[in-house]
Amino acid sequence: MTAPYHPLVKRLLDGELTLADLPPELRPEGEAALRLLEALDREPVTLSPGLEARVMHTVRRRAESPGRRAWRWLAAPREIRIRLRPWVAGAALAGALALVMLIARPPHPETGAPSAGLATAESVFVRFVLYAPEARQVGVAGTFNEWDPEATPLVRSAEAGVWTATVALPVGQHQYAFVIDGERWVADPAAPRVDDGFGRANSLIAVVPGGRAL
Amino acid sequence: MPERIRGTDGEVVRAVLGGDVERYAELVRRYRDRYARYAARMLGSLDAAEDAVQDAFVRAFDQLRQCRDPENFAGWFFLILRNRCYAERRRRSREGPRVDELAGALEAPDHPDGAVERAERRRILQEALLKLTPDQREVFVLKHLEGMSYDEIAAILGATVPSLKMRMHRAYDRLREELKDVL
Repeated sequence: MTAPYHPLVKRLLDGELTLADLPPELRPEGEAALRLLEALDREPVTLSPGLEARVMHTVRRRAESPGRRAWRWLAAPREIRIRLRPWVAGAALAGALALVMLIARPPHPETGAPSAGLATAESVFVRFVLYAPEARQVGVAGTFNEWDPEATPLVRSAEAGVWTATVALPVGQHQYAFVIDGERWVADPAAPRVDDGFGRANSLIAVVPGGRAL
Repeated sequence: MPERIRGTDGEVVRAVLGGDVERYAELVRRYRDRYARYAARMLGSLDAAEDAVQDAFVRAFDQLRQCRDPENFAGWFFLILRNRCYAERRRRSREGPRVDELAGALEAPDHPDGAVERAERRRILQEALLKLTPDQREVFVLKHLEGMSYDEIAAILGATVPSLKMRMHRAYDRLREELKDVL
């Protein structure tokens, strides 16, 4: 195991010091460290000329499709505020509760854990829940959506700080992680974890017909 | 031929949102190569970088209404591209590294005047970069290849300078270990 660089050499690499600032005994280490940066390939990378045409081809198709525009409008998350009179709110709450009991099982009691309901013989509705009071936006990315952090947004629930999304997952084993504010990947605090192979952990869920098994 | 300046990013974004879809090509031309090197170094492959940049532009178009500061389209687009790179790395980490990642696919095809040794060092360094964690690699690439300061990186990634320095210093140590027989 090679020893770590001396802190002064790291500051040299950061550009905060020059070789002359180093004590004489550290200069050989500093010179060797600078050779590392000299070896960097700083050549600009140019993408193929056809990229612009491909992007614009896709963009035009999407822009021309009224159905897609309508779907994007409907699917885009937006905040709405409704002020109800107390008796209307009571009736609405009772109605919503009845509807929820009809279409879904109650969420899993562990905060952060996905809960499941039966969707089809091959897929099961799984509800992802994350407590993230500081988040402005939360998504779930996993093997079921090609690790796309924007494909499955969670919606802020009425309960403060709680975000949820219900997804139909195929039966089988899936790995996933939550993505907070588009950039912070966090494992589900209430699910088993597996090493993702490059320094972080993913959460694990096994979906079986009729429910889930973690 | 340099692109004729037709408007700021904000003006172009507003024009596209107003229905002038063709003007989106201006943004593609402006930024397609700016972040290409970042994507290439993060993903270790030109092909993967091209796919990521293309996909990021399409996603940016789909979500253009969510760009809160159209004048800063570049910074917003970078975050979308960054997400694509992270997602792609995660996906590929399960499939194992591709051959072109390990074969120095990013080096220039010609090495005149005995630059073979330098090219070999570049190739080995690129391999070593791919062994860093994505967080470490990202800060290394942005600082030492894109020439950004810690303050600029902190602003674009929403991180603190001390945390970035910690990632970077771990990256230095890891690279030293990986390259001990070369440098």
